[in-house]
Amino acid sequence: MARYPVESEVTGTVWKVEVTVGDSVTEGDVLVIIESMKMEIPVESPQEGTVTELLVQPEDSVEEDQVVAFIED
Amino acid sequence: MSWLDEVDELKRRRRIARTQGGKEGIAKQHARGRLTIRERIDALLDPGSFQEHGKATAIPEYDEDDQLTGFVPANYIVGFGKVDGRRVVVGGEDFTLKGGSPNSAGLRKSVYAEHLAVQYKVPLVRMLEGGGGSVKGGGGRRGGTVGEPVFSPPRFRIIADAMGQVPVASMAGGAVAGFPAGRMAASHFSVMTRYTAQILIGGPKLVERALGVSMTKDELGGAKVHARSGLVDNIAEDEHDALAQCRRFLSYLPSSVYERTPRLECVDDPQRMEEELLHAVPRDSNAAFDMREVVNMVMDQNSFFELGRDFGDSQVVGFARLSGQAVGVLANDCRVYAGAMTAEAAQKYRRFVELCDTFHVPVVNFVDQPGFMIGPEAERKGTIRYGMAAVAAAAQATIPWAVIQVHKGFGVATAAHYAPDAYILAWPSVESGALPLEGGVAVAYHREIDGADDPEAKRHEIEERLRSARSPFPRAESFAVHELIDPRETRPTLCEWVEWIQPVLEELKGPVQFPIRP
Repeated sequence: MARYPVESEVTGTVWKVEVTVGDSVTEGDVLVIIESMKMEIPVESPQEGTVTELLVQPEDSVEEDQVVAFIED
Repeated sequence: MSWLDEVDELKRRRRIARTQGGKEGIAKQHARGRLTIRERIDALLDPGSFQEHGKATAIPEYDEDDQLTGFVPANYIVGFGKVDGRRVVVGGEDFTLKGGSPNSAGLRKSVYAEHLAVQYKVPLVRMLEGGGGSVKGGGGRRGGTVGEPVFSPPRFRIIADAMGQVPVASMAGGAVAGFPAGRMAASHFSVMTRYTAQILIGGPKLVERALGVSMTKDELGGAKVHARSGLVDNIAEDEHDALAQCRRFLSYLPSSVYERTPRLECVDDPQRMEEELLHAVPRDSNAAFDMREVVNMVMDQNSFFELGRDFGDSQVVGFARLSGQAVGVLANDCRVYAGAMTAEAAQKYRRFVELCDTFHVPVVNFVDQPGFMIGPEAERKGTIRYGMAAVAAAAQATIPWAVIQVHKGFGVATAAHYAPDAYILAWPSVESGALPLEGGVAVAYHREIDGADDPEAKRHEIEERLRSARSPFPRAESFAVHELIDPRETRPTLCEWVEWIQPVLEELKGPVQFPIRP
C-alpha cells in the first residue's frame, strides 16, 4: 500500500470539498475545487485509491503545490 | 611498394579509437543505466547512416623509437547522419573517458559540431553528458602561450548563431554541468531523462564550497527541478524516449531557415468536425474546461507534441499538424490561474513565438486569456516586463498566424496573441474587453456600489446586467473578426487557411531579423 499526496496546482481559496475520508476514487476524480482568479479549478486524484486524509476545508487558503489530501492504494 | 602499411596502421588506430573508455569504462556506464555516446548515436540515427568526422582522433604516446605505445581516444564524437531520411549533425561527449570533460583531442571536435551544422545547413542534435572544462586541463606553464589570442573571435558566438540558422535539439543523458549545461539552454528543444540526468551550473562540491549547502546532484538539478525551472522543455522516461522526442521535434521543422517548414501527407480528414466542440466551453464562464482536448480535436489526429508542460503551465505551447502542415500551437489552460499570463508563461510564450518565427512555422492560437497574472507574487516577479516581451514577439512576428477566440480575451496580455495580419475566428463563447466583468465592475462602478444600501447586491446586479447584454454577434457585424464560427467548423476552416498560406511559407525562407536566443 502506498500513500500519495495530492497537491493544488494553484494559489487560491477552497470552494468545495467533493469527497470525504474513506471514499474510493479513480484517477481523474475531482477531490477538491479551488477558486482562483475567479475560476473553479478542480484538484483531481492522481490515481485510483482511497481518500485517507483531507487537509483542507471550504474557505481555506491554499498555496501552489500545497498538499490538500492523501490517497492510498 | 604501396602504402598498405600505413593503411593497415590507420585501420588499427580507428579500431582503437572506437574502444572508447575500454570494456571497464563501458561496463561502468551501463551499470549506471546509461548508454555510451556511440550507442546514443546509433539509437538516434537511421541504421548505418553515421559518417563520423575525425575517426582516428586521439592522444597518442610514443616511445623513444617513435613506436606507438598509447592511444587515448578523443572523448567527443561528431559527424553526419540521417534522421527519418533527413541529414543532420550529431555530437556528444564520451563519458567513459575522463567523465566527458574534453581531453585535448576531444576539445577541438566539441566546438566543431555547431560550425558543421551551420556550414551544411542541417539540424544539430547534441547528446550531452559531462562536466565541461577542468582546472587540470588548462595551460599556464611559464614561457608558453596561454589563453586565446586577443584578436580571436568569441568562441561561443557560433552557439548563438546556430540558433538563428538550424534547429538545435539537446539531450541530457547523465550529469551535464558547466558549459555543456549552457549548451542545453542554447537549444530549441531540450530533453532530460527522468532518473539518470542532472543539469547543473556547478555541482555539489562547488555548491558546498561556495555556499556551505550540502545537496545531491538530483536535488540541485534533477528532472523535478528543471521541469519547473523551464531549463528543459521535456522529461523523458529513458534515453530511447529522449532521442525519440528529439526525432519528433525535428519532424515539425525545416532543416534550416533557408528551407520552408515541412508539410507531410495528411492522414486525417480536413473536413472532420467534432460534435464535442459544441460543448467544449461551459456556459458558466467560471467553470474550467480542458483546452488540450480542444486542440486535439482540431489538429490532425495524434499530431500534437507539447513542449514544457510543467513550466508556465497556464500557457500551452507545442507543435502539431493541420492538413499535414506543421504548425505551432498556442493555447491557454484555464485550469491554471484561469490561463493568466504569469512571468513564466510569458517567457515560454516569447521563446516559442521566436522559435516559430525563426523557422517560418505558422501559428494557430487558441485564446482564453484573462490577462496578466496579478497579485504580490506577480508584481515581485516583474511579470509585465516578460509579458511585454511576449507582446513584442508576436507584434513583430512575420509568420502566418491564425487566432481562435475561444473564450476570454482581456487586458494587455491579449495583445500578445495577435501577430500582424492574423486570420481571426471567434466562437460564440468569446468574451472580451479591457477587464473581466467581475473585477472591472468593482473598479468602474465603485461609487454606485459603495453608495448602495447593499453594495454586494448592487455589484452583483450590475454584473448581471452587463453580462446579459454581452453578445458575440456585434464583432461579426463590425468585421472585428474574419468570421464568427460554429466551433465544429474550426478544423475545416483552418485546413482551408493552410492551403492559402502555402505561397507565403515559400516566400519566408531565409534568416529573420530577430532570431531566437537562449
